[in-house]
Amino acid sequence: MARTRFNEYRDPDKKVPVFKNVMYALKLVWQTDKRLLICSFVNMSADMIFSVFLQNILFLKVLLGIIDAKGDFSEFVKNLVLFLVLSVVIKAINWTSNYIKQVSVKGVLKGLNNKVFAKAIELDVSCYEDPEFYDKYQRATQILAWGMFDSVCSNAGSIVAGIISLILVIGTVTSINPIYLLFLLPVSLVFAVELYKSKLVYKRDKSMTTNDRIKAYVQRTVFLKDYSKDMRTSNIFAVLMDRFTAAIDGNVKILRNYGVKLFLYSMVSSLFSDFIPTIGTYALAGYQFVFTKQMTVSAFSVVISSVNAVQQAAMRVAQSFEGLSRAAFYFQNLRDFFDYEPKITSGRLECGEFESLEFRNVSFRYPSAKKNSITDLSFRIDKGETVALVGVNGAGKSTIVKLLLRFYDATEGEILYNGRNIKEYDLKSLRTSYGAVFQDYRNFAVSVFENVLCHECTEEEKVLAETALRQSGIWDKISSLPKGGDTVLTREFENDGIGLSGGENQKVSTARLFAKDFQFAVLDEPSSALDPIAEYNMYQSLIEVTKGKTVLYISHRLSSAVLSDKIIVIGGGKLLEMGSHAELMAKGGEYCRMFTLQSSSYNGKEVNENEED
Amino acid sequence: MKKTKNEHSMLSNIIFFVKLIFKASPLLVIGDFIWGILTIVPGRLISVIGVKYIIDVVAEGERLERIFWAVGAIAAVLVTSTLLSWLYREFFWNVEKEKVHYNLNKTLYEKAKNLDQESYDNPEFYNNFILTIESSSDNIQNLLGLVRNYVGNLISLLAVAGVLLTIDPICLVIILVFIGGFLPLSRKIGDLQMERRIDNTKFHRRSDYFQRIFYLQEYCKEVRMNDISPILMERYNDAADDVIGNQRKYCKKISSLYMVQETGIQILGFMFVLPLYLGYCVLVKESITPGDFVAAFNGAHSIAISINFLTVWAVAVFSERGKMIEKYREFIKADFRIRDGEKKAEKGEPKEIKIENLSFTYPGNDAPTLKNINLTIKPYEKIALVGYNGAGKTTLTNLILRLYDATDGGVYIDGEDVRKVTIESHRNRFAAVFQDFQLFSCSVGENVALDREYDEKKVEEALRNSGFSKELKKGISTELLREFDDEGQMLSGGESQKVAIARAFYKDCPYVILDEPSANLDPVAEYNLNQAMLDAAANKTVIFISHRLSTTVNADRIYVMEKGEIIESGSHAELMAKGGTYAYMFNLQAEKYR
Repeated sequence: MARTRFNEYRDPDKKVPVFKNVMYALKLVWQTDKRLLICSFVNMSADMIFSVFLQNILFLKVLLGIIDAKGDFSEFVKNLVLFLVLSVVIKAINWTSNYIKQVSVKGVLKGLNNKVFAKAIELDVSCYEDPEFYDKYQRATQILAWGMFDSVCSNAGSIVAGIISLILVIGTVTSINPIYLLFLLPVSLVFAVELYKSKLVYKRDKSMTTNDRIKAYVQRTVFLKDYSKDMRTSNIFAVLMDRFTAAIDGNVKILRNYGVKLFLYSMVSSLFSDFIPTIGTYALAGYQFVFTKQMTVSAFSVVISSVNAVQQAAMRVAQSFEGLSRAAFYFQNLRDFFDYEPKITSGRLECGEFESLEFRNVSFRYPSAKKNSITDLSFRIDKGETVALVGVNGAGKSTIVKLLLRFYDATEGEILYNGRNIKEYDLKSLRTSYGAVFQDYRNFAVSVFENVLCHECTEEEKVLAETALRQSGIWDKISSLPKGGDTVLTREFENDGIGLSGGENQKVSTARLFAKDFQFAVLDEPSSALDPIAEYNMYQSLIEVTKGKTVLYISHRLSSAVLSDKIIVIGGGKLLEMGSHAELMAKGGEYCRMFTLQSSSYNGKEVNENEED
Repeated sequence: MKKTKNEHSMLSNIIFFVKLIFKASPLLVIGDFIWGILTIVPGRLISVIGVKYIIDVVAEGERLERIFWAVGAIAAVLVTSTLLSWLYREFFWNVEKEKVHYNLNKTLYEKAKNLDQESYDNPEFYNNFILTIESSSDNIQNLLGLVRNYVGNLISLLAVAGVLLTIDPICLVIILVFIGGFLPLSRKIGDLQMERRIDNTKFHRRSDYFQRIFYLQEYCKEVRMNDISPILMERYNDAADDVIGNQRKYCKKISSLYMVQETGIQILGFMFVLPLYLGYCVLVKESITPGDFVAAFNGAHSIAISINFLTVWAVAVFSERGKMIEKYREFIKADFRIRDGEKKAEKGEPKEIKIENLSFTYPGNDAPTLKNINLTIKPYEKIALVGYNGAGKTTLTNLILRLYDATDGGVYIDGEDVRKVTIESHRNRFAAVFQDFQLFSCSVGENVALDREYDEKKVEEALRNSGFSKELKKGISTELLREFDDEGQMLSGGESQKVAIARAFYKDCPYVILDEPSANLDPVAEYNLNQAMLDAAANKTVIFISHRLSTTVNADRIYVMEKGEIIESGSHAELMAKGGTYAYMFNLQAEKYR
């Protein structure tokens, strides 16, 4: 069940395969741009070996060795020069690889985004309406937005570099006196402690998610223009601030609850990483100085420095592990996203010329819904027919459109295109054979022409787009712009772009239909944002363009149903009536009632309406 | 909204914000000072003074038991400072930070809520506005971290420098020369980083947009029905290439500068010249002990870390933060164009609304949206505004509500200029349902009342009047939307609109503005709404905008607008008789019903 899966997914204790996911992430990066991974390793190694080992241990050991032995000053200088050269080379490697890394990061971002887009297009529409999956998708995109693959590479590199430098340091200490390892090795226990701690922190953060979402939501309502007018003319701001306060209080409570445990973990972590190594080393060295006299000044300094070095390296490795396991959680989402198999699978057949469309005993229930949206619905549309789909809000009209465009597949029954189940057809071929205009039409921030034709267009094609824009009644406005049809829609990031009003936008998206060589037009309330004259003109153009073609449209304005060949009246997901305007009016059923109601206001007649239903 | 030319200095901005945090929670700032000292200073000092002390005791060869006292002292300092740090962090810091976040954001939101509506139309101001709000919690986090590390590093820098001074002043001179020589590079790096970020934001805005298209639900159908994805991907790739180019351009310079700086200070200074001098002193001149050598060397290393932080990191982050805070201050100081009047408007009974010679031009536009509008609305009248898309109908209602102020002329209620009363009391006289109304992620009751407390009976009645009939699991306390409540109730377009309309029925006020209230409604719902409006709003003045002329028939007066002017007015019968634009429009729509 979708519901239980959702709960499981939100469970903070749910384990994701860290190693597998990290390898998956590294592989993805490797496939996109090898340089990023290589340079991350080189960069981290150069950086860490220099700061952890070379600068603090080796350098000190060599120089103090000479001083302890009361060696020659020229010997001292020779070694200094050697270190100078070595250090400069390492720094050069460090920063060169850093530069390459910074550039290839953006390249990987581009490459991965392209993969995500390609997958996104394949997704079922239901994915967008399923909060669980959508959440995953969002997290998957966050991986890219937050540069998480970059940090996975850095962290992986950092672990390798940390281990190399640890080996170098431990080797040096062993050469002095292996007994000191007794104090250095507990540092490795820090990993276990930090792992538990990070799990706890994760759990804590997870329990603050809802509150954080509230905080983010309130913030959004404050700064988005969409809410600005409602906010200014009512007292809703106070309501939202109450929510905000409650969310903060909730978070404070959660933070307090976790305080004791986190404090204890932190102290244990300090015990292993700090207290034992530092105090132990000092104590033992002191003991050796005072009693056994086995200690030299140079050995003492190097051992003390190596405590620092081990801490530093271990801390980096621990942090990197933590970073990786956090990233593993996110990459699980990316994996799920890429692994998603669309439920709406493409068939093989190419759509031929449209002959007929038939719903045969179709029932449909949205995933996770308790009731059917469509129940046992049958109707048929033949070539050249104009069919109006009529019904009150929520009757299931838009669902019918979603089914025939295969945004969803019917739960029961079948939908036949030219007598064959629509599932047998190639998805792209099926969808392009329809021309669809939606209630919630959208335009894109590309040029007006490109919005109409949906691809980059040559001069000849632009003429086609122009005709379509003329038909939808927006060409006059477009041609008056300095850049005409090449103007980019929205001012989001082009200063000479144009922001169109709701009605104008609708005309542009309708032009998309006009420019398309479709077999079957599906119009889902195409005129809702238009003024009466624009609406009238729009219908005139629609009649013109769809002449001889098949049209299915949904409209609340029944005036437009009058002229159609067939009217299908839907109520509660079921077929109520079907027939021509004249037939249905004669029948005196639901349609007749609705039509009479609406026309009464135009004809000035009083209607007695029982409002109960 | 005017831009202040004289920007504040970085330091002034930082102090300003730290003061803000201090005001919200003095203990947090003080605590972070101490925390910074506790985490950074002991370790650094032990590696310099502790080591030197032990080596020197060994070299002296007398009273060796002093070493154990030293080790004991080191252990005590270490354990105490760590204990205190963690106690502070887990029990105080976490919680207090959340509270400060609350305090600062509350102020910001209050300010934002009172901004002029026109602020949303000004992209530059709007960008700053978003940046300010979004950066506020980062500002807190970042500044506290900076303050902490700054204090810790500064103090350990001074302490270590003091120790070096006692060993050999020339050591300090060498260190200062190298720092002085390579310090100016940090500023250059900081500037480049800032430039890069600004340039990247520009390109990212474009790439983010195309990324959004693939991910937002509202585009998914359109993308699937039209083969538009190749062009969208291509545009994304163009933007991504710009980002890459930009990155290449800046990172080359930035990496080289970093390299020069690190090589200069860390390598040439602290790993070559300084040890050369120290080695000379120990081996040739024999003026310092091996303990001094170690202390000076470790000290230089610790100074290098401090300096690296104080110059490269802190300055870069401080100056970037400083710029953020500058925007914050600008925003907090932003002036309102819509100013409060002095008097409080009374709600009471509807009065006459008079609009005189009203003209309005949107800021940044050349052509006026409204030209010399004159109309009088008598109490209890039901007024319809009709006309083409873009005729200025919505703008007119915006001006009545004082979301904008007229460029010329004015709006008078009961003979009084609306600019003379307080904005809040003025707007409170109106219930407004906008074309682009929004539902909030709150309960149904709160969504209707748009207020904290509501009268349940009245809400239910308002919903009944608007024709809302959806069954709700928890009645009107059911939460709407799934922003953060996964059990939240989702509503269809028509149902949402009914909730929005119910707001007008609920609010106890003399005037109602409805902008296309029936756009998403089916015929039955529309008819019922018309009836309900006549009944339930009988004792109110109603101004409504509609494209469906069936709804205007019963209006007392209809105003037809075109290109920002009123071209016709009168009752339905009068206008039909006149045979002008209204009659033409009406007949177009009514034709098929006959």
